[in-house]
Amino acid sequence: MSGSSSSEVVHSSMAEYAPLIILLPMLAMPVILFLGKVFNTNPTWKNTLKEGGIIALVAMGAALFISLAIIKDYLGSFSNNGDIFSLTWLNTAIWEGGASTTPISFGFGIYIDHITVMLLFVAAFLCFLINIFAIGYMNTDEINDNRNHRFYAEFVLFCAAMLGMVLSDSFLGLFIFWEIMGLCSYLLIGFYYERPSAASAAKKAFMTTRIGDVFLMIGLIMLWDLFGSLNYSVVFDPANIALVNPGSLQMALGMMFIGAIGKSAQFPLHVWLPDAMEGPTPVSALIHAATMVNAGLYLVARMFPFFGAESMSGELIDLAFIIASIGGITAVMAAAIAFVQDDLKKVLAYSTMSQLGYIFTGLGVALWLANTLDWHHDPAAHTIVVVAFGAALFHLFNHAMAKGMLFMASGSVIHEVHHAHHHLHHDDHGDDDEFDAQSMNNMGGLASKMPITATAMLVGSASIMGLPLIGGFWSKEGIIANAWRVALEDPRFLFPAACVLLGAGMTGFYMTRMWVKTFAGKPNNEVAAHVGPTNSWIKTPLFILTLVTLSSVLLAGMGFTHWAPDSEYSFLSDKGLVDGIIYELGHAFANHDAFFFVLTYVAIALSAILGPFMAMSLFGGKLEEGEDCKPWFKPVIALNNWVYNKYNWDNSGIATSGLAVALQNRLYIDKYYDLAMVKIVAGFSNKAAEVDTKIIDGAVKQIEDKSQKISTIVRSLTTGSARDYILWVAIGTLLIFFFIWGVA
Amino acid sequence: MIDPAWVSGLSAILFIIGLIGVFTRKNAIIVLMCIELMLNAANMQFAAAAVHHGDATGWVYALFAIAIAASEVAIGLAIFLAVYGKHETITLDDINVLSN
Repeated sequence: MSGSSSSEVVHSSMAEYAPLIILLPMLAMPVILFLGKVFNTNPTWKNTLKEGGIIALVAMGAALFISLAIIKDYLGSFSNNGDIFSLTWLNTAIWEGGASTTPISFGFGIYIDHITVMLLFVAAFLCFLINIFAIGYMNTDEINDNRNHRFYAEFVLFCAAMLGMVLSDSFLGLFIFWEIMGLCSYLLIGFYYERPSAASAAKKAFMTTRIGDVFLMIGLIMLWDLFGSLNYSVVFDPANIALVNPGSLQMALGMMFIGAIGKSAQFPLHVWLPDAMEGPTPVSALIHAATMVNAGLYLVARMFPFFGAESMSGELIDLAFIIASIGGITAVMAAAIAFVQDDLKKVLAYSTMSQLGYIFTGLGVALWLANTLDWHHDPAAHTIVVVAFGAALFHLFNHAMAKGMLFMASGSVIHEVHHAHHHLHHDDHGDDDEFDAQSMNNMGGLASKMPITATAMLVGSASIMGLPLIGGFWSKEGIIANAWRVALEDPRFLFPAACVLLGAGMTGFYMTRMWVKTFAGKPNNEVAAHVGPTNSWIKTPLFILTLVTLSSVLLAGMGFTHWAPDSEYSFLSDKGLVDGIIYELGHAFANHDAFFFVLTYVAIALSAILGPFMAMSLFGGKLEEGEDCKPWFKPVIALNNWVYNKYNWDNSGIATSGLAVALQNRLYIDKYYDLAMVKIVAGFSNKAAEVDTKIIDGAVKQIEDKSQKISTIVRSLTTGSARDYILWVAIGTLLIFFFIWGVA
Repeated sequence: MIDPAWVSGLSAILFIIGLIGVFTRKNAIIVLMCIELMLNAANMQFAAAAVHHGDATGWVYALFAIAIAASEVAIGLAIFLAVYGKHETITLDDINVLSN
C-alpha cells in the first residue's frame, strides 16, 4: 500500500520561487492600503479594481499558481530533507560563562514536506476561492463602501501569514506567522468596529487565543532549552531526539498543544469562535473554518517526528491521550450546542469546533500509534500509522473544503436575505436593527430560489456528516476506526473513541436541521419569500468546491488517506485509480475484521440515518405550492416531507428542558469564565490598585514631600549676594584641598 | 638668588589679601582688582615652582594666566557697565536679584 518508495531528495525547480508565495500577498497589503487611501471614491478603483479586490486576487492567484507548481513536483516522491531555502536574519551567540560562547543564528527558511504540501494546497486554494467570494460579497453591500480596501489589505496579510506559517522552516517562524494571523483575525473580526458586539468579539478572540499563545511560547522556550534550536532540521533529527529526556519533551509539547487548543478553538479555549462570527462572512469562511483554525492542527501534526522517534517509544502516550480526549470532548460538546442554535453562521461555527475536535482525536490516535508501534521495522505497523495519520490530515482537507464552502453558501444566503429585506423595507430603515439576516427563523424554502447555493450547502453538509461516498466520509471513518483500534489496546481511549462515534450521529442531526430549516419547508416570512439568486462572484467558488467535495472519492482512491512524515512513503498509491477506488470501497464497506465491519455500519447508521431522520422529523416540511426546485432536490425534499409527516412529534417538552436551555446558553461556560474574571481578575485588580495607591504612590509622595522640605532649607542659602557665593566657592575649594591633602 | 620658598610665602600672603578684599569690599571694581591680585599671587607661585624645579613650564603657565587675566578684566568691566546700566549701581550688596 505504501507503494513505490523513493527516498531521494526532490529537486524542484519551482521550489526556489517558494518565498514569492509569501512575499506577493505580503507586498499586496501596503499597495492596496495606499491605493485605497488615494483613490477611495474613484469609479475605476471602485468598479474595475473592486476597491483592491482584484489586486488581492492577482496576488493570491500567483501564490496559488506557484504553490501548485511546487506541489506537482513534490507529489509522488517525498523527502524529509525539506530545507530548500534559508535567509539569515540575525547572527548572535549565547554566552556560557568564561570565554565559551555558542554561535546561533535566527533566520527564515522554507521547509517543504508532505504536511507542508497538504496544508499549502488547502491554504492557497481556499484563500484564492474565498477572495473571489469576497468580491461578490463585500463589494455589493453599501455598508462596506469606501472601506473595502481595508478588508482586502487585512485579507492578503492574513493569507501571507497563513502561507508563511505552513512554509516556515522552524518553530520560531511558525510562531511569528501564527501571531500575525492572530492580529489579522482580530482586525477582521472587528471589521465592523462601530458595532459594539463586533468590537468585543474581536477582543475576546484575541485575548482567548493569547492565553494559548503564551503557553505556546513557553513550550517553544522549553524546546529551545532541550535542543538549542527551533529549526525543524535540528529538532526532527532522530539523533538529537535520542539525547532528550522524554519527560521534559512531553512537557514542552504539552505546552505547545495548549497553544494549538487556543488557535483551533478546542475546549476549554473555544469560547471565542462563536462570537467571531460577528466578522464579515468571507472572514468566517477564511479564518474560522478553512485556514487559521487549522494552524493548531498543523502544529500538532508537526509534532509527529517526536512521537515517531524510536528513542521516544511509549514515552509520550499520555500526551497523545490528552490530545485525543480534548478533541473528543469538543466534538461532542460543540455538536450538542449546535443542536439549538438558530443563527446560521453559529451552527457552522460550532460544527467547525466539533470537526476540529475530530481531527484532534484522529491526530492523537495517530500519534499514539506512532509512539507505541514498531513502525520503523514492521511493515504492517507502518501501514497502520501512515493510514491513521493520513486519515486525520485527509479529514482536515475535507473539512476545510466543505466548511469553507458551507460558510460561503451561508454568506450567499445571508447576503440575499439581507438584500431581500432591504428591498421590501426600502422606505423605513428603522426596523433594520431588529431584523436578523443570519437567523434561520427568517429563512426557509430557499431551495427553489438559490439552487447553486442549496446544492453547495447540501453537498457540504453531506461531507461534514460523513454520508457514504462523499467528502468527509472517507476520512471520518478512518478517524473513528483508528480511535477504536487504539481503544482496544489502551482502555483509556474508550472515552475519545465513544465521543467520536456519538458525535457522528450528532453531526448528522445538526447539519440536517440546518439545511432543512434554511432550504426546505415554506418561507418563514415575507422576506424569505422574496430572496433572489446570487451573483456569479459568489457562485463560482461554490461550484468549484462542490466538485472538489464530490470528487473526494477519487482522492481517496489515489491514496489521499495515506499521508505520513516518512521518507519511505509516496503519496500517490502504486495502484491505478480504479484499483485504488475499488480497494478503498472494499476496505470501507467489506472490512475483513468483523469488529471494524460492524463499527463502520454503526457509524454510517448513526451519521447518515438516525441523525438526519430525527432532524427531519422535527424540522421538515415541503415547499410552498407552485414553487419548483431542481430535480436533485426533489428526493431530499420528498423524503424530508415524508419523515416529517409520519414521525413528527411535539418536542416542546425537550426544547424547554433544562438541558436545552443550558445548551442555548452554551453550557454556561462563557458565564463561568465571566464570573471567574469578575472574581479573580477584578479582585486581583482591586488589590493591585490598593498596592499601587498605598505603597507605590505613597513612596513617591513621601519622596516628593521630603524633597520639598529639604529644598526649602537649601533655598535659604541663595542670598543673591555675589560675595556669599564666592565665600562658598572658597570654602569648597579649601575643603577639596584639605581632602586631597588628607588623602595624600 | 632669593630662595623660591620666600616667593611662595609672598604669593600666599598676596592671595589671602586678595581673598579678604573680595569678601569685605562692596565696590565691584575693587573686588575685581582683588581677584587680579589673587591671580597674580598664583602667577608668582607658578614662577617660584618653575625656579624650584628648573622647568620652564611654570613660566609658560604664568604667561597664559596673564593673558587670561587681561581678557577676564575686559569681560568683567563690560559686565559691570551692563549691570550699571540696569541697576544704576555697582555696589554688590544692592545687587541680589537671585535671592531666594
